[in-house]
Amino acid sequence: MKNFTVFWGCTIQNRFPFLEKSTRMVLDGFDLPYRDVDGFTCCPEKSLVNNIDHGLWVLTAARNIAVLDKSGVDLVSPCTGCVSNLATVNGELHVNHREKDKVNSILNQIGLEFKGKNKLRHLVPFFHDEVGIPAVKNKIVKPFHGMRIALHYGCHMIRPSHALKNDDPLDPKKFDNLIRAMGAESIQYMTKLMCCGQGLDRVDQHENALHFARLKLKELKSLKVDAMALCCPSCYLQFDNNQFLMEKEGEKFGIPILYFTELLGLAMGYKPEDLGLDSHRIEATEFLEKWERMNRELSRTTELNKQLEEGFGIAQL
Amino acid sequence: MESLNCKLLEVCSRCGACYHICPSCLNLDEGYDPRAVIKDILAGQYETWLSHKSIWQCLECHHCLEICFQHYGFENAMAAMRTLASKKGLATTQVKRGWDMFIKTSRLGELAAPARKKLGLPEAAKSGAEDFKKMVKVYQESKQSECKSVRVKQGD
Ligand code: SF4
Ligand code: SF4
Repeated sequence: MKNFTVFWGCTIQNRFPFLEKSTRMVLDGFDLPYRDVDGFTCCPEKSLVNNIDHGLWVLTAARNIAVLDKSGVDLVSPCTGCVSNLATVNGELHVNHREKDKVNSILNQIGLEFKGKNKLRHLVPFFHDEVGIPAVKNKIVKPFHGMRIALHYGCHMIRPSHALKNDDPLDPKKFDNLIRAMGAESIQYMTKLMCCGQGLDRVDQHENALHFARLKLKELKSLKVDAMALCCPSCYLQFDNNQFLMEKEGEKFGIPILYFTELLGLAMGYKPEDLGLDSHRIEATEFLEKWERMNRELSRTTELNKQLEEGFGIAQL
Repeated sequence: MESLNCKLLEVCSRCGACYHICPSCLNLDEGYDPRAVIKDILAGQYETWLSHKSIWQCLECHHCLEICFQHYGFENAMAAMRTLASKKGLATTQVKRGWDMFIKTSRLGELAAPARKKLGLPEAAKSGAEDFKKMVKVYQESKQSECKSVRVKQGD
């Protein structure tokens, strides 16, 4: 496997360093060849920077990709927004040579050049395609058998598909496959692919952001899921933090929000507190208790099944 | 924001297929109606939209882009309105704050240093803030000289 760096992005390093922790633990657990690279900035956030200055949006993303070109490694990110922004600009510059030349005429003045030679991938498709489902299954010591988990892909893990090219943008499968590889049931639900709505919180429309969080959480509550799984810090903010704010106002959902790397880490046998689960606003206690119970039941039935298979016919006493 | 394509927008103003998939169209009670904006853009009467909260309600989820037979999407029109609004100082407070932070620090938020230490995380990689500042300077200068050359051409 080619060496890669992890592009953490602003939100994880600013608000949720425990997500960096679980990601590092999982990458180390799989013994994957990654290293930190100096010199990155904000990806930059499309809905902010592109809306104000398209040129600077392209240039900033191109500079980050040029830093990558210089270090000669691939990029993997646990943030859907970062990958989608970088990949969009990467794609745009590969087809628009005039724009690429313009970008490079500026980057050259700070000693960089955009080539766009290395792969840019989100952590979920990376695990699915590069690490592979069999290798993931191999690492599972404590599966999620009997656990009902609802996935939230997050728009930018799969869209825009012309730039990301990693899954079906309207019927994605990879995250589902990974959750199933961990033994869980991936619950299918109506609002599964709907945007989290966190963007509204960034444009002074907090009530509307809550409205979007509520739509999905309500459906998941009615389906009695054990947890929601996702892999984007913005979506995490929306469903953990905003759920917490709604609970404070008396609206109870009780849906723990688990990051892909936290789930994988748990299934690999790491302790919840080492993975940073105690930093969540919505507690995962009930989820963890049920999981322990299911695993105890699983080992009992496995034992019983072994006995069922042993011997032949009726024992002669 | 790239420039708008009026031919595609015209088709859009008569189509409306993505109302059935756009999360804001489907779920915002006060009504989010991109085609109303698009029709006003085509009629040259978009001014009132610049201070309307509707233009900030596009979530940039790219659903419209994915299902659009023109591979265009409502989002382009909404992004154009937001760019114009920002140029006229009509961006929302948080957008202005976010932009200031981005330009000054090259990031959207500081590193959570104490929490990193507590979690036993390694020291974070160095940011590219210095290079970024230099790049922004060169970019601004190149934009200014582009504007000047346009003005010279217009003066000819
Ligand atoms: S990108 Fe905007 S306009 Fe398009 S479907 Fe999403 S919210 Fe609606
Ligand atoms: S964006 Fe495409 S699908 Fe949506 S209304 Fe316009 S033309 Fe139709």
